[in-house]
Amino acid sequence: MKNLKPLFARLNKIPRAALITIGLFVALGTFAPWLAPQDPSAQNLLEAGSGPSAAHWLGTDHLGRDTLSRLLIAANTSLVSVGSVLGIAMTIGIAMGTIAGYHRGWVDDVLMRVVDVGLSIPSLIIALAVIGIVGPGYWTMVLALALAWWPMSGRISRAVAVSIMSKPHIEALRVLGASPWRIYFNHLLPGTIGAVMVYATADAGVAALAVATLSFLGLGIQPPTPEWGQMLVDALPYLESDPRQVLLPGLALTAAVIGFNTLGESIALNRIPKPLTRRTLAARRIEVAGWGKESLDAK
Amino acid sequence: MTVNRRTFLQGAFGAVGLVMAQGALSKLVYAQGASGTLRVAIAKPAGNLDPQSHYAIWAIQDLMFEPLVKYGRGGQIEPCLATDWKIEGGGKTLHLTLRQGVTFQDGTKFDAAACKWNLERWMGLDQFSWMNCSKYFESLEVVDDYHITLHFNEPVLALMQELSYTRPPRFLSPMSVGADGKFKEPVGTGPWRQVKADDTESAFERYDGYWGDKPSYERLEAKVIPDPRSRVAALRSGEIDLVGGFWIAPLTPEEAKQLEAAAVNVVVDPGNVTLVMAFNPDRAAALKDSQVRKAISIGIDRAAISQVLYHGYAKPAGNLFSSALPYAGKQHGAPVRDAAAASALLEKAGWTGGPIRSKDGKPLTLEMVVSPDAVPGSRIIAEVIQSEMKEIGIDLVIRSVDHASKHTDMLEQKYDLGFFLTYGAPYDPFGSIVGLCLSTFKNDVEGKLVTDPVNLDPLINAATAATGDQIEPTIQKVYDWLRDNDAIAPLVYVPSIWAHSNRVQGFTSPVTEYDMPYENIVLAAE
Repeated sequence: MKNLKPLFARLNKIPRAALITIGLFVALGTFAPWLAPQDPSAQNLLEAGSGPSAAHWLGTDHLGRDTLSRLLIAANTSLVSVGSVLGIAMTIGIAMGTIAGYHRGWVDDVLMRVVDVGLSIPSLIIALAVIGIVGPGYWTMVLALALAWWPMSGRISRAVAVSIMSKPHIEALRVLGASPWRIYFNHLLPGTIGAVMVYATADAGVAALAVATLSFLGLGIQPPTPEWGQMLVDALPYLESDPRQVLLPGLALTAAVIGFNTLGESIALNRIPKPLTRRTLAARRIEVAGWGKESLDAK
Repeated sequence: MTVNRRTFLQGAFGAVGLVMAQGALSKLVYAQGASGTLRVAIAKPAGNLDPQSHYAIWAIQDLMFEPLVKYGRGGQIEPCLATDWKIEGGGKTLHLTLRQGVTFQDGTKFDAAACKWNLERWMGLDQFSWMNCSKYFESLEVVDDYHITLHFNEPVLALMQELSYTRPPRFLSPMSVGADGKFKEPVGTGPWRQVKADDTESAFERYDGYWGDKPSYERLEAKVIPDPRSRVAALRSGEIDLVGGFWIAPLTPEEAKQLEAAAVNVVVDPGNVTLVMAFNPDRAAALKDSQVRKAISIGIDRAAISQVLYHGYAKPAGNLFSSALPYAGKQHGAPVRDAAAASALLEKAGWTGGPIRSKDGKPLTLEMVVSPDAVPGSRIIAEVIQSEMKEIGIDLVIRSVDHASKHTDMLEQKYDLGFFLTYGAPYDPFGSIVGLCLSTFKNDVEGKLVTDPVNLDPLINAATAATGDQIEPTIQKVYDWLRDNDAIAPLVYVPSIWAHSNRVQGFTSPVTEYDMPYENIVLAAE
């Protein structure tokens, strides 16, 4: 329990709303297959577009499928696909970045120019091009997005790696005769991963949006797998007659994206010392004044 | 200034009032500027209107250019620029009597010389060999000012139908071309004269020298509105009067239903295009067995598709062609879904087990290629079929692709199941039968719905070679073969949906999806 205290202290600094949203997203996404009350792809055309009822808490979609189950399973789809995209992208990015940061010199130059090329093309365009060549599908989409995503984490991890490498303890390790492997795996890599993970949190929202965008265009996740972007595009024709069908996946997607962005932002901000507010300053002054009194009392 | 409750409420009411006044005013302005003008929505700019090229919106060309004969309801051939025609020599000679007193919109006389000049622009050229009359064209002879005779080296199938097509057979003024003989301006003999054309709209004025019944209003504007929702909104706000047509500015059944709920006039015609599912036994060996094809066909709930996805506007199809077309053959009812019978057929064919059936250790997985851009609504239909196939133990994988990929995938036969639309009037029945089912006919656009060089080709060749009373029984054999072998699965007859404002009176759906239905419209005064 004691070990968890600092963790709770850190979590407390994060906006509660974002924490709850993302917590829910991750929890629901992970346990969706057990939580979904009905088969998300079971159709009942006779019940198409019906409103909330005891059998379907959030109503049904245009093909009579249970909206709640679809939203839940879609959270799972998004979680898995975003996780895979970021996982693959960060693996490539961190590997490239740390190698560049460790080695410097021409290796650094070559790798960073490759990163520059990757960064200069909008990520969605790279993804569209890859899907255009390979053909649409779940794993194609994940790979295409990962391919579009890695240069960013490559650039960041290189910057972090360079700063770690210039720290005195690395120099000390070298002087003590630590092997390159030891420096790389025991000191450089763990430090870089920690820093880059923070950026990944903020990126998760954008990645979720990219997955939804590709599915919206019909190039991502293929039916019948539920996905928020897909649900949105399917519901668009019914925007006027049954806005519920558009609003629900839209809200879910918005909440996840805003949640990730706020979370990422606050984690990043927590790492920077905050300027002191007037109230803390006043509190400190009182405290300092107290010290004087204490020393007087001691006498 | 601080915002308190009073200023906020004042401001809010003021804004709402302003918006309402603006709405009413704009309606008034629209109506005033539109008296005597029919405003039609088009989904894209009208394009190059050259009747011998293939880029323009058909219906816009139809406003200006006329054919020798018109395609009437039920495939009836009606006189237009030709008042009389006679086919002789076993179908190898066509005598035409041209209408007198017709002038092009630039004042040029329409006579045998103008007719010859036009026909020679396309007849006999390789580019137009997809039309029989061009493929078999031999010579053309001017008898006198209003009589012309065409000679062909083979009897021409559906000759008069072909002459009613929008392109290339329509007539352009010989004076309207450039010095090099290339198309310059759209000048025809039709009732509408183009006065303006750009990326936002094409405007037409009534041609007062028109030989036939002139429209009762003076102006027709085709406004470019690419987004479907904006078109529907424009119709409801009174900005346009007419929207619809498969190739003009399509309305989905859902949009039609919403418009109907909003008390807008919606006109639904059963249509003459069929949505058909194709099987590709060359790629999926399981589909070589007609029992599997039949199981898939009767595993589909056509009634539910037409009721829920088309809101009852479409009719379930049991034939390749609906009775709206000539020579459509004996009409059968659409297959009724029977999951038990479908499962039994699959068992009999050796596909057993579950939840996904398998045979010799191979699961019954089929891939369906869909493109909602190419066939509207196809992805949702595919999803319904996917779920229905799952119930009978078939794993259907949907691959949605863009419009261009759909064409290449269909051409290269990269699909197990796919959707096709028949061409509809005036091309059918022969257009689709030859273009989509005859293996020797090269089709570089849609690919093939079904081919069988051994069994089907001879039947099609016999049907296309038949004349007179022989056409009906020979073409019936083609339909029977398709049906007996479950070679294709017709799903629904795609309806033709139009919606119009209250100003438009006397609207009737066009005979083909390639015509602009301006003819019977009378504009009411507001």
